[in-house]
Amino acid sequence: MKPLKLSVSGVRGIVGQAITPELIINFASAFGTMVLAGPVLVGRDSRNSSPMLTDGVISALLATGHEVIDLGLCPTPITQFLVKNKGARGAVSVTAGHNPAPWNALNFINSQGTYLNEFQGQELLDIYHLGRFKQLALKKTPKIIRELNPEEPYLEWLLGRLELPPIKRAKFRIVVDPTNGAASKLIDKLFDLLGVQLIAINNEGNGYFPHDPEPRPRNAIEVSSLVKITTADIGFLLNSDASRLSLVSEDGETLSEEYTLPLIARYYLKKQPGPVVTNLSTSMMIDQVAREQNLPVIRTRVGQSAIIQAMLEEKASLAGEGSGGLAFDYFQPAFDALVTMALYLEMMAVEGEKLSTLVKRLPRYHIVKDSLVCPAYRLHTLVAEVKKLYKGLEINQLDGLRLEKKDLWVHVRASTTEPLIRVIAESTSQHRAQMEVDRVMAYLRRLTA
Amino acid sequence: MRKILPLKVSVSGVRGIVGESLTPQLAARFVSAFGTYLGQGQVLVGQDSRPSGLMLKKAVMAGLLATGCQPVEVGLLPLPTILFLTKKRQARGAVVITASHNPFNWNGLKFIGQDGLYLRSSEVEEFLDIFHQGEFTYVPAERIKPVLSEKEAGYLHLRRIFSQIKVKEIKKKKFRLVADCANGAGATLLPRFLQELGAEVRFINTELSGKFAHQSEPTPENLKELGHEVRAFQADLGLAQDADADRLALVDEQGQPLGEDATLTLSVDHVLSRKKGPVVVNLSSSMVIEDIARKYGVRVYRTKIGESNVVEKMLETRAVVGGEGNGGVIWPAVHPCRDSFTAAGLILEKLSSFPGSISQLMATYPRYYLLKEKFDCPAELAFKVVTELRRRYQRENISTLDGLKIIWGEAWVHLRPSNTEPIIRIIAEARSAEKARRLLEKFKDEIKQILSQVS
Repeated sequence: MKPLKLSVSGVRGIVGQAITPELIINFASAFGTMVLAGPVLVGRDSRNSSPMLTDGVISALLATGHEVIDLGLCPTPITQFLVKNKGARGAVSVTAGHNPAPWNALNFINSQGTYLNEFQGQELLDIYHLGRFKQLALKKTPKIIRELNPEEPYLEWLLGRLELPPIKRAKFRIVVDPTNGAASKLIDKLFDLLGVQLIAINNEGNGYFPHDPEPRPRNAIEVSSLVKITTADIGFLLNSDASRLSLVSEDGETLSEEYTLPLIARYYLKKQPGPVVTNLSTSMMIDQVAREQNLPVIRTRVGQSAIIQAMLEEKASLAGEGSGGLAFDYFQPAFDALVTMALYLEMMAVEGEKLSTLVKRLPRYHIVKDSLVCPAYRLHTLVAEVKKLYKGLEINQLDGLRLEKKDLWVHVRASTTEPLIRVIAESTSQHRAQMEVDRVMAYLRRLTA
Repeated sequence: MRKILPLKVSVSGVRGIVGESLTPQLAARFVSAFGTYLGQGQVLVGQDSRPSGLMLKKAVMAGLLATGCQPVEVGLLPLPTILFLTKKRQARGAVVITASHNPFNWNGLKFIGQDGLYLRSSEVEEFLDIFHQGEFTYVPAERIKPVLSEKEAGYLHLRRIFSQIKVKEIKKKKFRLVADCANGAGATLLPRFLQELGAEVRFINTELSGKFAHQSEPTPENLKELGHEVRAFQADLGLAQDADADRLALVDEQGQPLGEDATLTLSVDHVLSRKKGPVVVNLSSSMVIEDIARKYGVRVYRTKIGESNVVEKMLETRAVVGGEGNGGVIWPAVHPCRDSFTAAGLILEKLSSFPGSISQLMATYPRYYLLKEKFDCPAELAFKVVTELRRRYQRENISTLDGLKIIWGEAWVHLRPSNTEPIIRIIAEARSAEKARRLLEKFKDEIKQILSQVS
């Protein structure tokens, strides 16, 4: 089997298996056919395979008549920011975000700088499947503009929106692990401008992943020990395109990526009150924070595309997922770990509190996640089968199955990025959450056996 | 009306119209097949000046990277330079994005194998099988290599030529030349080449905008501008490269085109005067080659039409020189491929040792008249025509290596169905223009008569 995942916002798979030059050129040609004539941005992360995909994308965009602005190594949130900044028709970001090194993906971004919404995504797939792409005779050499410092306008914009004086006065010392991804080196500039003493590891941008590029506790061990040794104020762990973030508190505790959203929410919502959008799999911690400020929480399908679409429709102030991807409407409707890191520093500076203290203020929930590898063509039928376990209960079927019982919820869904069924449960009791996940997993294993 | 197919796959690669048949998808598939065929290693990537070259180059890069090859970008360079560099760098092969002399809206990919040689027909078959089966060997992400770039590589080719010719002798003559680069890749190196040979040169058509001022076939029509400039500049010689810079045509000091075979004639004579050894030319090259070979007592081998056939035979017979009558000179001392730079170097060296003008030099060779014509004929009938003619002339001195060639003492005629178009090519050579014309007409009549019988 060659795992290939099409989602509304792009295509993802293992390089050399599903991800081939022809597939890349076909998808990028469909995108080039869909967007209006004009410049299109292309950015990439640091993966070994990213230059190959980027060459395919550029060739397709040129063939479909676009001028290409080549951003080189560039975090996805910066690529998204630059779409409007440069007046581009759209962008392609070459990155598989949190997936391991063998993977890569194309992420398509519309003229508003957001991931394609479901309608645009459907249109892209229709053009792809039809296979009739726009093709120009290229009577003049098409233009590729190489942008050498794409981050500069972004950093200027970001700094203009932060409360700089308190951050600078706080003289923070922080540890950051950009996992040798797209934000490597760039963090030197960012934190220098913020007057922060930076201790960086895996900051080469060479695409060598010392651990899976997924921000979560098991990958944060290096950051944790460095935070302790250097008595830093906080530690940050990014994914390969700087769209997701997880935290390490000043006492070295590696916090679950579920904390990234609720920990900043109280501070940010005070400044920018408004609805909060999150997905069906994200911890209930955010509900409590929103409740304190009488703000609604809207739950959507999983994935940046669905979250941002809801954020724009509901005029939400804050949107984010338990995976550590957060978007702030005062900044931009995009999962942006650079903005998130800066806001954490602002919060700590303004409120003068330690991160571990803020963690203690949140209600204590236990979230248990598990997953089952399963052929792509059986994913959805198997998920539907699980309904039989919950006869008589009200089931939310927006994205797989989600149901609530007394002090517990469970979510069973097909992953959009890998051939997996994910099972997540959360409860005030670790035991109850674990039992529920085990029950569903046992049922699924019987079905697949 | 003949239908021109917008996509051609042949022994030397693929050509098509950009925006119609030659898509980035197709380019990536061909290159993925090529990368699979070569196995992993360095592959040079060059291009001509066509505006669609950049788009295709990106697709070529993606295909090479995905199959684990390491692309080495050499940029805009003459074809023989890229062939030379492929060997020099010990690369696995090369891909050149060019459609030679095809119209502006065309482009193509040329595939070059190990040692800087075109793929032999058996190798092409293997490579095309991979393409058609569509099963390419893609490598996992961790084995994808970084792209290398080499911008000044062209000079290595010139240096090799300089090491093989008498640069000092040529410099002493301070030649006055006019050079026509036909807006091709030759313009990237010819100025430097001729400057280092101490010549005073006026260049025409050196602009590399991808637009061609004239077709690069060295017909009298296409050499008119060069002839005019030669007279105006009072030059000793006019040099005309074709778009890929593998062939060279000559114009004498009076501005007159010297005929297609002159380049090969002069080069073969000169190389043999320095070193005796076998000569290899194709069936359609002039008989003057036999006259010259007789002078030096060496053997001439004749091959099928096509550069790779000549090169293959040259390597097999350890020939010292060879080529094609259309201005393609192959001198293995530099590299076994057609090379307009090598040809120019040899001819200038020859001229520097001759106490007269180029037209006086040409007058020292026996004069032959070579006429060419095309005859419209559907491909399936062309085969029957040639078979019938073979039967009729089987008692004559004939060669059936490539179509049919009939030789009578100091005259011959060569009939050959084209591989790419529904035509039969007829070439006749004799000691007088009148006799060559008579031969040509006789065979045209005979073909007409056969066609009326079989259809």
